[in-house]
Amino acid sequence: MLHLRKKIPLNIFLSILKESVVFAWAALVANRLRTFLSLLGITIGIFSIITVFTVVDSLEYNLRSGIQELGNNVIFIQKWPWEFGGDYPWWKYMNRPVPNVKEFESLQKKVEGAEAIAFHVAARKTVKYGSSSVANVTITGGSYQYNHITSFEIADGRYFTELECENGRNICIIGSTIAEALFRNGESPVGKQIKIFGSNVQVLGVFKKQGESLLGNSMDAQVLLPVNYVRNIVDIRSENADPYIAVKAKPGISNDQLKDELRGLMRSVRQLNPGATEDFALNEIKVISKGFDGMFEIVGLAGWIIGGFSILVGGFGIANIMFVSVKERTALIGIQKSLGAKNYFILMQFLFESVFLSVLGGIIGIVLIWLLTTFLGDSFGMDIFLSRSNMVLGLTISFLIGIVSGFVPAYGASQLDPVEAIRSN
Amino acid sequence: MVKKIKDKSPLKKRPRILSLICVLGFLWIVFTFPGMFSPATKKLGDWVPAVYGLLIALSFISFIGVWNLKRWGVEMYVGVFFAKLVFFLLTNQFEGSVYAGIVFSLWFILTFLYYYRRMQLNL
Repeated sequence: MLHLRKKIPLNIFLSILKESVVFAWAALVANRLRTFLSLLGITIGIFSIITVFTVVDSLEYNLRSGIQELGNNVIFIQKWPWEFGGDYPWWKYMNRPVPNVKEFESLQKKVEGAEAIAFHVAARKTVKYGSSSVANVTITGGSYQYNHITSFEIADGRYFTELECENGRNICIIGSTIAEALFRNGESPVGKQIKIFGSNVQVLGVFKKQGESLLGNSMDAQVLLPVNYVRNIVDIRSENADPYIAVKAKPGISNDQLKDELRGLMRSVRQLNPGATEDFALNEIKVISKGFDGMFEIVGLAGWIIGGFSILVGGFGIANIMFVSVKERTALIGIQKSLGAKNYFILMQFLFESVFLSVLGGIIGIVLIWLLTTFLGDSFGMDIFLSRSNMVLGLTISFLIGIVSGFVPAYGASQLDPVEAIRSN
Repeated sequence: MVKKIKDKSPLKKRPRILSLICVLGFLWIVFTFPGMFSPATKKLGDWVPAVYGLLIALSFISFIGVWNLKRWGVEMYVGVFFAKLVFFLLTNQFEGSVYAGIVFSLWFILTFLYYYRRMQLNL
């Protein structure tokens, strides 16, 4: 190319380039059905690969933001560990006691590396207001610092005071979905009395809408009450109440440091001998994240293989069409060359054609995904979005497929002997 | 003592070694092209797959040039080789397979350069 540029002024080179683009476009328009069928291959290829990436990325985003809400620097003291390791027999976990309020209070007094500590229990009950009711609502009992452990905002009303929590007052904060279901005529739920466990409970606030969470930890369909009130109604020593103590590390304290401290404190609270096996689990979010990392790697890899083959097939389709195109226009190439067309003019003409085809197919594929995510995104039960990086990736793949699959036929066309090309008919 | 005269006549037929290298190159491209949109490449950044893909496409074109005994094929291959080195350096991807690729590429380049003067200058 450098050799050619020395001889041809830039303006002439550009006008030849423009002419080859026009030629390529004219060829595509002249064979509409063929153009459509060949770009369909790339459309399907780009559609499948970018759809897989979009779904995987969206799923990952939703799950990770759900995990993030649980808190990266929070240690959960529970009966069951989130991952089983070693050769510890599972039935030994069965006999472990669940964490209780006494242990929580003892830890609260002694723990030094914690910014916040909360006790949690949960139950499923029906919530009523007047003639309206919502069944199977998650009733969460939390201690005062529960708002430091779990991520939520109050849209209307306020959070509990420390005294209200300690006294176990019959007050609650309800999720936005519960509020919409119980208070249909638009009245504010704050200050109203709703019925939970057959008793009147005053609504103190409403959580800000969070949307659906894949981990099921959205506050939208939950009712939060002080744990000291819930313990009077629910058996919080039962495993069904899912009791756990959540401890958030102070800034500058690592999870491992906090775990070491909690391990020592829990052993002393439960009066375990130095040689005795621990009868509690210290869980952290990192374990869930690690589990998802492996899963996303496999799903991404599977998508990559499936999409890769679709793209490959699309590329072969374009190459095939380009070979046909060259064969069909051999005489025309001969005439162009005999009238002085340079090799690179012929090369560009066919290369532009294949790149146009491929990029057009890619754009259609991306637009289809965009339409799908925009109009059907909500029906998947999570946020599905087409990211900028996936759009760039889709366009790049289609552009490169156009070059790779079109180069061989285009180069072959550029090397034709004009005399033989004209005689080909 | 008879002095061996180095053959500088233009190549009429593609030497077998060049055919072998080009076939290996085409196969290598078929297997590495999907790598541009692999999850590992995607993780490196938004533009990394695009640059990586472009480098592979240019390698492919350079092999076609060499296959047709054109000098621009060799020049393009050498250019792409250095561009790839810079790319791997910037993305910190030096690992076993990359080193193996470099060794192979150097072998390809030396072979191409051996025949370079006997290749055609035109497009």
